[in-house]
This record gives sequence, structure tokens and C-alpha cells, in this order.
Amino acid sequence: MPEWVKGSIDGIPAKAPYGTSLLHAARALGIDIPTLCHHEGLPPDGNCRLCLCEVSGKLVASCMFPLRDQGFAALTGSAKVMDARGFVLYLMLNRAPKSPRLIRLAHDYEAYGARVDPRFPLDRDGCVRCGRCARVCSLQASEAIDLAGRGPGRAVLAPFGRPPEDCLGCLACALNCPTGRIAFQDDGATRRVWDRDFALVPCPACGERRFTKEQLGHLGVESALCPECRRRAMAREILAADSVISYKARG
Amino acid sequence: MTRFQHADGLLGHIKGLKGAPQPKRTLWVCGGPGCLAAGGAKVHEALLNEAEKAGLLGNPGYRISLTGCLGLCERGPLAEIRPEGHFYQNVGPGDAPGLVGEALLEGRIVEGLIKDPKNPTKDSLAFYKPQERRVMRRLGLIDPESLDDYLLHGGYEALALALGSLGPGETARRVEESGLRGRGGGGFPAGRKWRALRESVGRPRYVLANGDEGDPGAFMNRALMEGDPFSIIEGMTLGAFAMGAEAGFIYVRHEYPLSVMRLSKAIRLAKDRGLLGEGILGSDVGFELGIVEGGGAFVCGESTALMASIEGREGTPRVKYVRSTEAGLWERPTLLQNVESWANVPPIVLNGPEWFRSLGSKDNPGTKVFSLVGQVRDTGLVELPLGSRISDLVELAGGGVAKGRALKAVQTGGPSGGCLPASLMSLPLDFDSLTKAGAMMGSGGLIVMDDLSCVVDVARYFTAFLTEESCGKCVPCRDGLPLLLGVLTGLTKGEGRAGDTGLLVREAERLKATALCGLGQSAANPILSTVRYFQEEYLEHERGFCRSGRCQGLFVPAIDPGACTGCGLCRKACPAAAIEGKAKKAHKVLPGKCVSCGSCLPKCRFLALKPAPRADTVKADA
Repeated sequence: MPEWVKGSIDGIPAKAPYGTSLLHAARALGIDIPTLCHHEGLPPDGNCRLCLCEVSGKLVASCMFPLRDQGFAALTGSAKVMDARGFVLYLMLNRAPKSPRLIRLAHDYEAYGARVDPRFPLDRDGCVRCGRCARVCSLQASEAIDLAGRGPGRAVLAPFGRPPEDCLGCLACALNCPTGRIAFQDDGATRRVWDRDFALVPCPACGERRFTKEQLGHLGVESALCPECRRRAMAREILAADSVISYKARG
Repeated sequence: MTRFQHADGLLGHIKGLKGAPQPKRTLWVCGGPGCLAAGGAKVHEALLNEAEKAGLLGNPGYRISLTGCLGLCERGPLAEIRPEGHFYQNVGPGDAPGLVGEALLEGRIVEGLIKDPKNPTKDSLAFYKPQERRVMRRLGLIDPESLDDYLLHGGYEALALALGSLGPGETARRVEESGLRGRGGGGFPAGRKWRALRESVGRPRYVLANGDEGDPGAFMNRALMEGDPFSIIEGMTLGAFAMGAEAGFIYVRHEYPLSVMRLSKAIRLAKDRGLLGEGILGSDVGFELGIVEGGGAFVCGESTALMASIEGREGTPRVKYVRSTEAGLWERPTLLQNVESWANVPPIVLNGPEWFRSLGSKDNPGTKVFSLVGQVRDTGLVELPLGSRISDLVELAGGGVAKGRALKAVQTGGPSGGCLPASLMSLPLDFDSLTKAGAMMGSGGLIVMDDLSCVVDVARYFTAFLTEESCGKCVPCRDGLPLLLGVLTGLTKGEGRAGDTGLLVREAERLKATALCGLGQSAANPILSTVRYFQEEYLEHERGFCRSGRCQGLFVPAIDPGACTGCGLCRKACPAAAIEGKAKKAHKVLPGKCVSCGSCLPKCRFLALKPAPRADTVKADA
């Protein structure tokens, strides 16, 4: 297997390590491909089909398509590609017509049918079932929520539809939702998400309440600095170390 | 039971079986899915009781046993007496005394139980004439639970040959040169897959069998798993030997408990005799085989979803840019074939590729089992050489459309296959011709539809099935199918709009282009193929007319006074008293009273009743 593959993306010569995804290779060239279910920190899934591109006349999900053939020729904005994305955006926009991100994306594909359709038969519940919430939850090793059911009835659910017992209240799901579908509320001492209330533990340095008790328990600690205080503490450490090094360098 | 320590030991045992005295006569009772549903097990039980009364149980000269599917399900329960070959149809427990006393004991034809005593055998029936039973060759000849029966009819001779003299390379070469193509749907050349697995990197390697038959109305895989389970196991063992696979699984749907039972038993028997597991036939070749029961989701027939299901994860497909032969089950090199493909392997290895190519066409060699259902006179399982005409299946084997009605279309390839019109009946039944015509081979299901079937309604039915069975992972299939279903449902309810047909085609094409897996990509086929051949009927539905009289409210029945004999069957069937007429005089429909339910249409034996547009839709048209 070769170390590098050479080809072109939109006619621009491209070279990438064997097996690089088309999406990454294109982005490295500064070519933008819209994505939705994709997240750099999560395993790719290829379910939303928004990043479809054309390779040798065929549509492929660029987030998962590995570049392996020498002389590959990919197109990221051909008529075929635009029409395909128009279709999936039409479907997603009608599921989540209020999502600012989808409204913005659909704007570029309006000529390809990406608009709100009164005849659309499904629930406009704001969720596009991309599963980013479930994937990030699984990555946190809590697996409190997941996609369940099949066909149009598929939805993100907690087990048995009850408030999820394994939820840490960490908000990874809500903050990674591309359509802002997962509601939560922080009011001082408590956080409410997935129909559960979580007690928030104050930062030992500044008193700001960021983490839930369950979250800290999952990490095996009783308390933790809030991100700002942690950054400050880290900076102090680095500065101290740096001064030692510079002192030594000076001899 | 002793383990065979060497290929020669096995062959010696087979020789002994063949030389041993055989029963003078055997009464085989069909234990196929259709006959069991029709009461075949009760017939078998009654026969055994009768044999006990006659003191025949334990007498080695006479045998009564269930066997695999004999094919002609329409006329089940079936029974056949061997060696005479007398073939009994529609038998019941009450026929037991005659079948035991006359047929089994004396080999006589039981009076009254065979319609045409001059032609008492199976092979004289039109249903069997065009058939070449290769995959199903042992169905009707063996007890599926008996390894010795299997051995007596050529079983495991291929494995003995492969292990004894051919070696892995020659075994694989025979399969590659046979031109065998995957029997589960796509028709992918088996040899190319085999080569890919042989050349793969990483251990262990797996071979899998797909027995997840999920197409409504299809039961050829089931008949095979229940009728000749060893043939699948021997095929997989040969594959594992040729490709160096250590382990394998047969994936069987949970709704087939008998298949699971028969396969499990066969695996156990094969292991006990040293034909499976460690040290096969005394060699250092080992192959572990297990069964995984699927939960019955249609999508789990898709290769990557099937593997996810075996791994214990949710059965959803994954993006398949990397082939399973490179990274499949547990990311290891994996080869998956349909159970029918595997059953084809032993005879190919034993008889060579030329033998296999002696039937079928150049690019589509061999035979294929079709399940023939719908509005056809004789339903059942039919095995034909690939490349036979559709009419061979429907007209020759099936005896044409039931009740003398006109043929409208055949639907092939399962729910995501396509509909072909009556004008294409001379099309060859092979992978490429069907795909080119907008349908597909699929696993070999074929549904016959008469002139009272509405293609729009058929498309709606299959789209509804696929919507429900969509796994829901990717956007186009999950949310696009309900959109298409909504439009189709509107058309069949008289809520269609001008332009709906164009909308359906456009969005179906986009679904086909964008869906993640093969099932999603083919989910548009029911719509695309029916619009391709029956566009006129779609346009009529936009205007509120169903010419087939299937969509309620979209027609009024009209009586052709020249053809009507005044028999009164339609009048009696009408729930709204909307048909009037005197006996033996042409009848009349009262449009004001007719509720357009269609109850009368199938009743007419003289084809005098035809659906006509309703007066109001005609006006709207003008």
C-alpha cells in the first residue's frame, strides 16, 4: 500500500496520506464541504449525507470516503452534488425548520429544493437524528441516551423514555447538537437536562458552579476547578517551569 | 458414532451405506414451509399411526419420513412414494390408510388420490417440466435431519475430494471458474470475493451465510435450510478450507425456528463425525461454525447490518467504502454469501466448473430457485436455469394467471425490486437483464399480478413496507420514504394532484442517489419501475381514476352488456345493492348507489365487469 495518494479535488492537484478522508483532504486545500453529523472529535457515521461529493461519477460521503486510489478525481460542487445536498437539506430543514444552522445551510441550496414544504409528512420536532449527542455520550462512557426505534420513528431516547439514570448532566449532548434541540437549564445551584435535576458543585477557587456532582463522581474526584481557574492555574505552572528553564539556560 | 479420521474413511462409510440394503419403499411427506402450514405434520403423524397399526414401524423394508420442500406448495400437503414416484397432492390425515396400505406396502396408486392415474409422477406435471432441480436436488429424497441420508446422496464427497486431493487453491479455482454469482441479490461474482478473502491480511478470517430471508412471500432460503441443511454447512466448510477461514456463522432470522433447529442439529452431527470443528477428516484443517439468530429486521439482510447484528450491536448498515473481505466482522476479513450460494459450492467443487456452466447462460451460469407467488395458478418453489424466460416461470411452471384473468405485471426481487409489464415476459431471468429492465433478481421472489392489481397501489404497498423497515440511520431513506409514501397514499385515495407523478420520480431518483446502503438506494425501485412501465396509470390516478378497480372510490364498475350472461354473481356480491338485473339478462350498475368498493369485480367469470372513470372525474378532466 502506498504511503501517499495523488489526485485532484475540483481540478486542483491534491496529495494526501493513503486512506485520508476526502473531507479532510479537501479542507486541507481550503475547499469547504458542508457537514452536519460530522464532528472532528467523534467517530464518523456518514448518516446525514450532507457532505456528499462526486468521485468517478458516484456520490460518496466525503467524511468517510478514504482516498486510496492514485489519480482520484473528486468534485465537491458538481450539479449532481448540489442536487443531492439539496435533497437531504430539504429533508433535514423540514425536520428542524427553526434551526439557524440549517436555515443558513439551506439558503445556498434553495434552487435545489431546500425549503420548508407544507406537504412534508413528518413531525417537525427539531431533531435530525444525526446521533452526535449519542456518540459523544457513548464516548464519555456514560451511554445515557441513544438512538432507538427504526424508520421514521427513530428518535433519541433515554432508556424506557424515563429520565436517564446514567446521565452525568455534563451537557456534552446539548452542546454538540447541531440544531440546538436538546434543552437544558442552569439556575445557580442546579442544572436541569433530560428531565433530571443535577446539583452543581462550586469551583474551589472562584465558587462558579460548572460541574455536576455526577460528572465529578464519574472522574473520581470530589471537586474540580472551573475551566477558567484551571487555565489560570496551568498558566502559573508553566510560567514557573519556564523561569526555571530560563534560569538554567542562563547558567 | 465414530469420527472420520481420514477422507478415505468417509468414502468407505459412504460406500458401505450405498451397499447396504435400502428400504423397499419410502413414503416421503413434504415438510416444506407451505405443506407444514397446510397441515403436513398432521398427515405425517397420521401416517405413522397407521404404520404402527399395520406393524410396519421398525420394519426396515418400509419407511415414512418428512422431507424437504417438494415445490408445488399450492397443492400441499404433498407426498411422494419412492421408488415408484407416485405423487400425491392435497393429502389429509384421512388418506393415511390408503397411503400406507396400498401405496407404501404395495406400490399401487391409491384410487381417487391421484387426479390423472395415467401420469402419476411429479415429472409428468407441467409445474416440474421446465425445472432443473440442482440446489433442491435432495429435497424429496432425504430426511433433512439424517447425516447418513445426506451422505447417501452425494453429501460430503466434495469435501473429501477437496481435502484429499484438490487442496485449497484448486478448490477456489473451481468456484472462481464456475462463474457462480451471489444468489442473495446483487449477483456479485463469488470468485472475486473468494479471491479477495484469500488475499486478505489479518486473522481470523470469517465466512458467513445469510439466511435472513426477509422479503415478504419469499421462502426459498427457508426451504433449503430446513430441507438440506448439510449442503449449506458443507459449502461453508469448503469455503473455509479454500480461503483459510477459521470460523463462521449462519445468520438465521428468529422467525424460522425450524431452520435454526435443523441447522443446529446438522452442525452437531457434522462435528460429532469429524466433518466440522477441529481436525476435519483427521487433517489439521479446522473450522468452527455457529448460528446467530436475527431479530427479524429486514435491514439485517444487508451485509454490514448483518455483521453489526452478529457483533451484538444494533443492526444498522455502515458506509461500505472498505470491502468486508478487507474489514468485515469485528473488522476482520469476512466473506458473506447467501445460503443458496453456499449450497451451490459442493457440487461445483465435486463436478467442476464446466458442469456448473452446462446450465444457464455465459454470464449467468447455473440455476436459481424462485418463489412464485401471487395471482398465479400454481404457487411454489421453482428452480430454473438462469436465463430462462419469465414466461417459463409464470406460464409453464405456474400455469398462467389464476382464474383466467389477464396478466398485468410481475414483481421481482422482493420489496425493493421492480414491476415488469406483461410485454416483457420473454425477458431472460438473469441478474443483468432484470437490473437493466429496472427490476432485480433479489433473492428470487416473483409475484404475479393480474389486471385487478393496481400498480400505484403496489408501489404504495412496497414503499410502506420499506418505510417501516428502514433502519432510520440515514436521512434520505428515513425521512425521504415517508414523503414518497405520502404522495403515493394520496394518489390511491383520490387526493392526488397534477404533477405528483413527476414529483415522485424526481424525489425517488434523489433518494436512490443519496441513501447510505444498498437497501436505501434500491428503495426507490417500486416507484421508478412502475412509473417507467405504467406512467399512464399514474396520470389517471392524478385525475382520480384507477383502471384496475383497486383504489376505492376511484372508479365505477361498468358492465359490458354483450359479455354479461346475467349470472347474478356480481349482484349478490354488491353490499350496496347497486347492481340490478334479471337472471340471464345483462345486468346494470346504478352509479348513484355504487360506493365503488370493487367487491363485484373479481366475481365476474366472463370478464364483463370493467372499472370505468367516475362521471365527476370525467367532467373535471374536460
